[in-house]
Amino acid sequence: MLEIKNLHVDVDNREILKGLDLKLPAGEVHAIMGPNGSGKSTLAYVLAGKEGYEVKAGSITWNGEDLLAMDASERAVAGVFLAFQYPMEIPGVATMTFLRTAVNAVRKARGEPELSTPDFLRLVRDKAASLKIDAEMLRRPLNVGFSGGEKKRNEILQMALLEPSLCVLDETDSGLDIDAVRVVAEGVNALRSQKRAMLVITHYQRLLDYIVPDRVHVLSDGRIARSGGPELALELERSGYAEFGGAAA
Amino acid sequence: MDLPVQQFRTKAEQGFLDAFAKVEKELPGNDWAAGLRRKAIQAFGSLGLPHRRIEAWKYTDLRTRLTDAFPPLLGGHVSKNALAELLGKPVAKLPAYRVVIVGGSLQPELSDLAALRAEGVEVLSLAEALEGPLSWVKDHLGKINPQSDDAVIALNLALMSGGIALKLGKGATLDKPVHLIHVADNREPASSFTRHVIVVEEGASLDLLESYASLGSAASLGSTVTEALVSDNAALNHVKLQVEHPDTTHLSAWLIGLKRDARYNGFQFSTGAGLTRNQINAGFDGEGSAVNISGAFLMRNKQHCDTTLLVEHRVPHCSSRELFKVVLDDEARGIFQGKIIVSPNAQKTDGKQMAGALLLSESAEFDSKPELEIFADDVVCGHGSTSGQIDEDLLFYLESRGIPADEARALLIQAFVGEAVELIESEGLRNVLNRAAADWLGVKLDETTIAS
Repeated sequence: MLEIKNLHVDVDNREILKGLDLKLPAGEVHAIMGPNGSGKSTLAYVLAGKEGYEVKAGSITWNGEDLLAMDASERAVAGVFLAFQYPMEIPGVATMTFLRTAVNAVRKARGEPELSTPDFLRLVRDKAASLKIDAEMLRRPLNVGFSGGEKKRNEILQMALLEPSLCVLDETDSGLDIDAVRVVAEGVNALRSQKRAMLVITHYQRLLDYIVPDRVHVLSDGRIARSGGPELALELERSGYAEFGGAAA
Repeated sequence: MDLPVQQFRTKAEQGFLDAFAKVEKELPGNDWAAGLRRKAIQAFGSLGLPHRRIEAWKYTDLRTRLTDAFPPLLGGHVSKNALAELLGKPVAKLPAYRVVIVGGSLQPELSDLAALRAEGVEVLSLAEALEGPLSWVKDHLGKINPQSDDAVIALNLALMSGGIALKLGKGATLDKPVHLIHVADNREPASSFTRHVIVVEEGASLDLLESYASLGSAASLGSTVTEALVSDNAALNHVKLQVEHPDTTHLSAWLIGLKRDARYNGFQFSTGAGLTRNQINAGFDGEGSAVNISGAFLMRNKQHCDTTLLVEHRVPHCSSRELFKVVLDDEARGIFQGKIIVSPNAQKTDGKQMAGALLLSESAEFDSKPELEIFADDVVCGHGSTSGQIDEDLLFYLESRGIPADEARALLIQAFVGEAVELIESEGLRNVLNRAAADWLGVKLDETTIAS
């Protein structure tokens, strides 16, 4: 269970989150929707532990553990995974090297044995195939020269390899055509399980046609303004965010 | 008002002149060689050690920094164990024709000169080459892209004791690189002077690796000059790996001459020496030729590393590319000077250079000085220089995947350096250099662990 209580967060001395409360039980998928500037990405970064996001008040616990006391890599070990809206390009780091370093760092920290090269290659090949990621892509430097869709598929590949228990997807559909959205959504759906909680952050309802959430929350001006079932997303699609103070996008 | 300038010599300058007088008779070579040496020491005497008012040495004032002229070492050697340790390192294990030079003296029994000769390569120790010089040695020694106003190169010519003269004949290639292994014999303070003369004839292609290591820890000075001529349609891939003791002073110059349609790829990787000067001078004397010069250096503590490049476009239709990556920690100082000169007739020249520095500490200093001197009107030339810290967004991306901060930092530094290393064609060499970078970072990580 993810429990966020009365979360206040400042960025550059400006209050972005203003008392956010949220409960996300394991096994469920919740969507966070909201107008631009409502604090969606801030929430994603705060969960993942990015520096520069100052928590002024409130708490975040995951399965009872205090996430705010951990640095970013410790949170990853504790099961938190953020799929980035804009995955970073790192020239000079081969995608495979990166994946292996990450998988083994997490395994080591969780007290599991590191994977041998053949075991690792087999694991990557299996997971990559279902996401339509070919070997050539994995040989390239991390995300360098990747299309938008390739980058997002690479994010989901990392998610599949690291086996997180709390997945946060930040605008995973942004910049993708409908075929790419479908591939990515299938990858995400394959990871849905009773032990795993997912927070899907999105501006548009489209992604939720493919990743159907259990609950939908509307984030507005740093707080959850309204919560409901999947039908809330459809309603927002029709009416827009005007009633939540959002300008037309 | 002109004040009378009084010439005075520093202790080190006088020391080198005295040392030359003392060892002159013992230095290898016949009268011709002795004549070269005397002319060179005279030049050194009148130039003196380079200082900060000489533009090419602006940031490395040898007059101030070289306080002693350590006695020149003739006949250096290391113990078998020490050498075995060195040769056990990955770099020495690379398949190659090895030439081992200890303290400026070539070690014939450790070198593969016979194997090279069996391949049809003309190769002699420098001492042999100076005794009864072959015409090609006479034509080229001290004459390939010479820098007559450079005192350090003159001093090297005066005191040169070890090295090789190598000629790869027309159209020839070798199955393995030639690896010049330089070992500083610094059991006690000493200086050594090594010079190589490399001639790659028409249509031939040579891979040349130079590595530098020290096994002792006394203060020492190592001076090396490599002269290389790349003839018409010939190619030279030239790589250097320098990992030496922090009390060592390393003064190196590569003098490269290119004829028509020639290719030269130079790469220098260095983690020091305490004071390092890596100089590359390349000159185009034939049309349609290209040089790629790149490299990386990683320095910490009070290390000082000065990379100075001079590319002279004397003829039309040549291109030059330069890319250097610099990593500086603690109070280390890095210098990149890249000068491109385009002569009035060198139309259609295409020259670009780029230097990037990563500063890991607030006390580290990077000085970058690009210089373009263009006298032709139809050319494309450019330069760029960046310096900055590790990108926090990239760091967060890696950490968010469970990679601890120290490891993530090391990965990013490796990636930064890797952009230059990737330019090397040989995978074996790339691996050795990447490992050398990892070694450097590994030490850093250990220190961090101890400190925290």
